[in-house]
Amino acid sequence: MDTLFAQLVVLESSLALLFGLGMLWRRGVPAYISAFLWQSLVLAAVAATVGYFGRERELYLVAALLVVVKALAIPWLLRDMERRFASERELAPYVNTATSLVLAGLLVLFAYAIMRPVVAASQLPTRTGLPLAMGLVLVSLFVVMSRKKALTQVVGFLMLENGIALLAILGTYGIPLIVELGVFLDALMGFLVMQIFVYRIHETFDTIDVDQLDRLRH
Amino acid sequence: MVAWAVDAVQGLVALVLAPGVVGLVRWLKARLQSRRGAPPWQPYRELRKLFAKEVVVSTNASWLFRIAPYVVFASTTAATFLVPFLAVPRPLDAVGDLLVLVYLLLLATVFLALAGLDPGSAFGGMGSSREMTVAALAEPTIALAIFALALSAGSTNLGQIVARTLADPATALSPGHLLAFAALFVVMLAENGRLPVDNPATHLELTMIHEAMVLEYSGRYLALVEWAAALKLLVFFSLLGNLFVPWGVAVALTPGALAVAAGSVVVKFVLLAVGIAVFETRVAKLRLFRVPELLSVSFVLALLAVTSSFLAR
Repeated sequence: MDTLFAQLVVLESSLALLFGLGMLWRRGVPAYISAFLWQSLVLAAVAATVGYFGRERELYLVAALLVVVKALAIPWLLRDMERRFASERELAPYVNTATSLVLAGLLVLFAYAIMRPVVAASQLPTRTGLPLAMGLVLVSLFVVMSRKKALTQVVGFLMLENGIALLAILGTYGIPLIVELGVFLDALMGFLVMQIFVYRIHETFDTIDVDQLDRLRH
Repeated sequence: MVAWAVDAVQGLVALVLAPGVVGLVRWLKARLQSRRGAPPWQPYRELRKLFAKEVVVSTNASWLFRIAPYVVFASTTAATFLVPFLAVPRPLDAVGDLLVLVYLLLLATVFLALAGLDPGSAFGGMGSSREMTVAALAEPTIALAIFALALSAGSTNLGQIVARTLADPATALSPGHLLAFAALFVVMLAENGRLPVDNPATHLELTMIHEAMVLEYSGRYLALVEWAAALKLLVFFSLLGNLFVPWGVAVALTPGALAVAAGSVVVKFVLLAVGIAVFETRVAKLRLFRVPELLSVSFVLALLAVTSSFLAR
């Protein structure tokens, strides 16, 4: 039973990481959004799996919330934003695709290295997924740093949030529900604030390319 | 003795089955695009016709152009015999392991590229140059992806890898296997000239790769090259189907187990063919300059697969 649990969790965590890595190769904002959507669904599956095998009822609620907030509401809002800035679809990252893939690979290796003592000390059946979750956190941080458009940075930030949630679910079988709810609300509020911010950037500079922010208006 | 016979038979069956698999993919694709499509056994008819036709060779072509189809066909056939289809462990495992397999496939690729350059046509040279670009990025990924499996199985023998995974089914779901599967799938598309890297349905397009190299071939030479291409697809199908999802492969040489193995192999091939047909219907061809990026994705995935199965041991 425990081995099946461990295998399932690892499978789902690697799928989540796979969506994060696959995003680096894609160019369009819609591709970023759908990668995020799928990743959130996988995250919900992880929560449900841990809830089932770890007998934590609350995690089912977390999984349902994940589906509603991160797989339905936020992608819907993102698509709405994307439609508004339809002329700025082509992305121009600071780092080219091949280099960013190699860097992301190195980041995942780094995550494996730094999580070694944690994995060795842990007794949980979910421990093999921890380095993958840490890798996802690092890779999404890299996405935030290396992409130019505010919208893709927002998606990177949301993925970072996914990575942290994955780490929490795997490492502690979920934090208390009240904290989890607070995190959801935070993520949603943060996202709304960022949305307003992106609109303001677009209004002021006629672009959502953050490279343009260091010049004065016109 | 029985084991040798089974090995020989499974190789020969693969040889005969290969054009049918290509035909099946084409037929499924046609149905998905609401065309009637040629029946799945169409490639057999094409091969029969091509073998009967006269060979036309450019006056500029050297002996290399004439021997290349035989080298390509022979090395791909040899590779086919190394891949486990029905039963493990196999006596042919003593002949060669995964490194031999990768180099046999590469040998065929190199000779095909040389043959593309040999007659001096502009198209052939272009195809060869592109094929080499793709191959240089794809071959290391195949080796790495299978190494990820070899690491957890503790052997580079393909039959041994299947046997170990069968003995310990839990390993088939490890992150290493999943990442390696994704990597090998992308490489399979690139190596076999499928979408989004190359369009297998076209003869005259500036961006074609495989068809550009074999443009000068005709008659039985073309038949051999096409058959070898079909075999290569089958080799990749059985690598994906049997190394990653080994269930159904016979471990004992009883008629019952072999029948189950044959049935499961057919099911796996059909599933993979459906997968490719759906995928090819959904995606558009990539710009040539983005192909190296796609292949570096799969290389990074394979690299991660190796390290994660190394670290997770």
